[in-house]
Amino acid sequence: MALRELSSLEKYLGLKKPNKYSTQGDKKVPVLQNNNGPPLLGLATIACHLVKEAKRPELLGDTAENRAVVQQWLEYRVTRLDSCTKEDIKIILKDLNLYLQDKVYLAGNQFTVADTLVYYGIHPLMVDLAVQEKEQYVNVTRWFDHIQHYPGVRHHLPPVVVLRNRIYTSRHH
Amino acid sequence: MKLFVSEGNPHCLKVLAALEVTGVQCSVQYVNHEEKVVPFLSRPVLPALLLPSGLHLFSSNAICRYLFEVSGQESSELCNQWLEWEATDLQPALLQALHMAVLQGKGSEVSKVLQGPLKFLDQSLTKGGKPYLNGDTVSLADLVLWAALYPVLSDSSLALGEHKSVNSWFDRVASIHSCLSAAQKVLQGKGLQGMKSYMQRQPAPQSNQCRDTQPCNSNPAEGEEGER
Repeated sequence: MALRELSSLEKYLGLKKPNKYSTQGDKKVPVLQNNNGPPLLGLATIACHLVKEAKRPELLGDTAENRAVVQQWLEYRVTRLDSCTKEDIKIILKDLNLYLQDKVYLAGNQFTVADTLVYYGIHPLMVDLAVQEKEQYVNVTRWFDHIQHYPGVRHHLPPVVVLRNRIYTSRHH
Repeated sequence: MKLFVSEGNPHCLKVLAALEVTGVQCSVQYVNHEEKVVPFLSRPVLPALLLPSGLHLFSSNAICRYLFEVSGQESSELCNQWLEWEATDLQPALLQALHMAVLQGKGSEVSKVLQGPLKFLDQSLTKGGKPYLNGDTVSLADLVLWAALYPVLSDSSLALGEHKSVNSWFDRVASIHSCLSAAQKVLQGKGLQGMKSYMQRQPAPQSNQCRDTQPCNSNPAEGEEGER
């Protein structure tokens, strides 16, 4: 899973030369074999490295505050989303739904690498949601649909069908 | 900017140490463990930092990172890696260890759950051959890991075994006055018992053996992935 995400991220970033990865341990933590130094370990760490390599620093956040917010959601992805149980799912969706109420992206008005990784991580949850649940978590669904249609992001994942007319009410058009 | 912390909460040790080390100007408010500071989270989470923009940071590592960055110290990739390891590998083991030591009186068994992470840290420090995780000067990674490990490493009754490099690194960071003073504020000199009321309010940790509920991201095809 993680390796496919990193490969999709590389494509999104337009990195021409694919990197060499392996995994480590039972949890299959991704490892990036780095020619210029020691290997890098961990999905969030490698994702940030790729962003730097592609010279797209704005994807890590444009201010100190936003950079902290981006790192916070990357951590949320690799801790909360990656080990969540059935009971956690409702809490995660409820919290994210409230958080995204007044935001376009996780870091406010700017698309960042946090949107990409949280999107990849939440995809398995969204696939399982019934139509009514998608309406219940309307802000998550709107954000999710926005990210899956964001140019170049979705790559390895199948699209999740969202009834857009329920999410984008006529008022917003 | 305002930092919310609670007494006896080990995650607050990190942010108070970071605040003292960086000298960033920020008011600190002590609240109860149950206080809902972050408006969008259903469960109370502390520490929390209210940013000038009105947004809340609810991850102790993100708060430390922010305090370091506004004081002019940007984190390196190696720092990122240590912080990610702390959150994904060390914290679950620590939570389990603290649960055993503080609530179940099984201090003698703590060593088992912490051996893996301590060994990894010890080997990395030995291999690096430097006084600190990131080289010759103390960094965000040292501070976060030191604060996370302080409750267990400062308690000699837990008998965690010989990790020579970890022990000398731990003492080196502890000699920074700001670190010990943050530890005193959070644990009030009561050691592990100072965390009892906090630990009682935490959900019981999932131990590795009894994790029978499948993580939702598990993917049967995962085994097919190797090197590309």
